[in-house]
Amino acid sequence: MAFALPVHAQELGDGVQAHGFISQGVAMTSDNHVGGNSNGGPAWDLRELGANLSWRPTPDWLISGQALARWAGETDRGDVRLDYAFIDRTLHADGHAQTGVRLGKIKNPIGFFNTTRDVAHTRPGIIMPQSIYLDRIRNFYLAAPGASLYGNRSGDAGTLSWQVSALRPEVEDEELERVFMLLNRLGHFVGKTSWLGQVSLDSVDGGWRGGLSLGEFRMNYKPGGPFGPNPFTQDLAAGNHRLPLWVLSLEHNTEDWSLTAEYSQTTIKARDYGSIISFRDNTTEAWYVQATRRLPDGWQGYLRYDVLYLDKDDKKGIAFGTPLNLPQHSRFARDWVLGMRRDIDRLALSAEVHRVDGTAWLAQMDNPAAGLLVRKWNMLLLQAAWRF
Amino acid sequence: MKAFLPLFLRNSRARAGGMLLLALTLLQVGGAALAAEIIANRSVTPNDLSLAAARSIFGMRQVKWPDGTPIRVFVLPDQHPAHAALCKEQLNLFPYQLRQSWDRQVYSGMAQAPSEAASEEELINKVAATPGAIGYVRKAKANDAVKKLSLE
Repeated sequence: MAFALPVHAQELGDGVQAHGFISQGVAMTSDNHVGGNSNGGPAWDLRELGANLSWRPTPDWLISGQALARWAGETDRGDVRLDYAFIDRTLHADGHAQTGVRLGKIKNPIGFFNTTRDVAHTRPGIIMPQSIYLDRIRNFYLAAPGASLYGNRSGDAGTLSWQVSALRPEVEDEELERVFMLLNRLGHFVGKTSWLGQVSLDSVDGGWRGGLSLGEFRMNYKPGGPFGPNPFTQDLAAGNHRLPLWVLSLEHNTEDWSLTAEYSQTTIKARDYGSIISFRDNTTEAWYVQATRRLPDGWQGYLRYDVLYLDKDDKKGIAFGTPLNLPQHSRFARDWVLGMRRDIDRLALSAEVHRVDGTAWLAQMDNPAAGLLVRKWNMLLLQAAWRF
Repeated sequence: MKAFLPLFLRNSRARAGGMLLLALTLLQVGGAALAAEIIANRSVTPNDLSLAAARSIFGMRQVKWPDGTPIRVFVLPDQHPAHAALCKEQLNLFPYQLRQSWDRQVYSGMAQAPSEAASEEELINKVAATPGAIGYVRKAKANDAVKKLSLE
């Protein structure tokens, strides 16, 4: 019988599926470095490759895992990472409501897009709005080992979905220290138990989608030098970071248009680091609005304005005093993005131009000489992506 | 008929022709009206679904029938007229929203993807052959080896 053969390659057998994605991008910038361009030429070091397996042995159990390799200049060099791997147990399910629990390494639901930010097809553009989805510290917020309880319920107003997680963030990335400690120190961070929750509502007519993500990420710092806290090695005493955050998300959908807006604040509370450098609490402010217009034959165009202030009480970076001589414009970025995309079956081709004022979201590892950063710069990005 | 339409457009005096064109356009739109019917394997016990249940099932969140049988969802390609009809008329969603929802779940491990059939004929055969299967076509025929599910 023909039916015995799976028609689609991704169905491997009873309850087993495989899916994957691949993308290749190229970046050209007027100034500053993105994606590994070092001499002003185009950067081809923008690539994503992922594959997943899932198995549903019975309706109440789901086991799934995904491997991911990402290339993006100095911060991501193509190492294969375990993106997620967890067991999902449905606790209750009827036609109107489901609840369940997940255990393992789970993607962190922050805003609309964090869980699949590395899958080009699900992104709102070639790169994520950097204000909220800062690529410099993506791994820290992306996924973490832990446990989560989730559910959804459909009623007259629409579908309400929620999730609460306890997790331990992954803190291995060098760029993480550059963001939260201003440079790569001798010691290292250790992830501490953190929590994250999200609630979202989809209206019954499909026209509106809204959500709130709320959480607090925590980590400790362990000094690494043999001489302890020391101005010469710039190592600090042991300390800890707490990062309470919230994201408000809203989207309006019609057949031809999607209007998306998200607003977020993260407060950075650094404690006990000794006296070599004094951290004061500061709150980042991040938001973007995007209009997407769908056109016939798989075309779409989009316009986005994306704003990041690393300190909402010092938006121009004037009060930002540092012994590292980092420029004021490294404390903010305002990015106009105009893009277009065409979907041809499983292939997506995109192009977008950026006009940026500020350098806050540029990776320090790609731009080691802060003095060479240019405040106002332009970027052209092209991307081809395929999924199965 | 379509071959004559440009003639009407070229003739600026043909107001009657313009009226006819308008009428034809309206008729054409009426004739191409979207329609989709939800079908299921005959082993499936419910005879109707609530909107919430249909959205949960096609959204891949609800994966078993009330009697515990696994649900197998079969869909047509995103561009298929019956797919657009199911989304817009039955589920109150746009096709791109369902696609986004599937992709976000599939690539974060939260759910599995529906199985895709290339044509309505293939979809009917698969639904008929798979216990617990659900799908949709533009119009189910009386002699199809599947049952129709009505939306409450």
